[in-house]
Amino acid sequence: MKQETKLSQKQEPLAEQTAEAQTVREFASTEEVLRTDAAQTTVPPEIGERLKKSAARIRPPEARPWWKNLLGR
Amino acid sequence: MNIPLPSQAAAGPPVKLKGLTPPVRNEPGTDQPLPAPPPAAWPVPEFGALYEEHSRPIYYLTLRFLADPQKAEDATHDVFLKAFRRLDQFRGEASIRTWLYRIAINHCQNLRQSWQNRNIQTSADDALWEGAAAGTDSPLQALETKELGQRILTALDALPDEYSLLLLLVADEELSYEEVAALLDQSTDAVRGKLHRARKAFAVQFAKTA
Repeated sequence: MKQETKLSQKQEPLAEQTAEAQTVREFASTEEVLRTDAAQTTVPPEIGERLKKSAARIRPPEARPWWKNLLGR
Repeated sequence: MNIPLPSQAAAGPPVKLKGLTPPVRNEPGTDQPLPAPPPAAWPVPEFGALYEEHSRPIYYLTLRFLADPQKAEDATHDVFLKAFRRLDQFRGEASIRTWLYRIAINHCQNLRQSWQNRNIQTSADDALWEGAAAGTDSPLQALETKELGQRILTALDALPDEYSLLLLLVADEELSYEEVAALLDQSTDAVRGKLHRARKAFAVQFAKTA
């Protein structure tokens, strides 16, 4: 599969960039399209900060009793 | 990865209440303000390492499957919080990544089912897309992300949920076909057959977005 998307090579200056150099990127497969997109995606740092606070608030689960491990229950 | 239960970990720093800003204090005898406090620590450091390693693929799955950056943030938070609560239930029969994906898939499918039941149309507006690109170096990079991301979203939106999920999982190079099949409760052969059709369908829809 050959699919195209326009990706810019340079980052500055923005005005020139948008007017001129835009490359056409060809992807070899659907997976490559998605992997490229995933690689460009940044996890918002707010999630981690929020998760730290949430995890600190919850009561830790009880440790699994040893006999449950032994009996597989 | 050997992860101790939260109950086995040392107590973390006290939780700061949201919205309460401590007063600015100065160094004694000077006008220099004290340095900012360090960012909050993970209550279980190993869980922090787990989050760092797996948050991107989980966030990406939620982002593209739910098609809404704010909902994806909430879902990613909720998925990892569920994982934190259930660490004692992780039996090591699957990889941590697969276990997290299972929680994420169930969570996302429940959300989507709930939206469909309420007949709510979800769509990502430009402001939310800017949020999804947070942390990128330039607006241009954000635009790139937005363009490719929007095209993918449009293409995935035209596919059955099953195909979208399948493509998103297969794109993760850490997952084998066997693991993807297990996550989707299907045989490996069925996954291979559906994947062939899903790729074709995606290619057609993606080409339409150009």
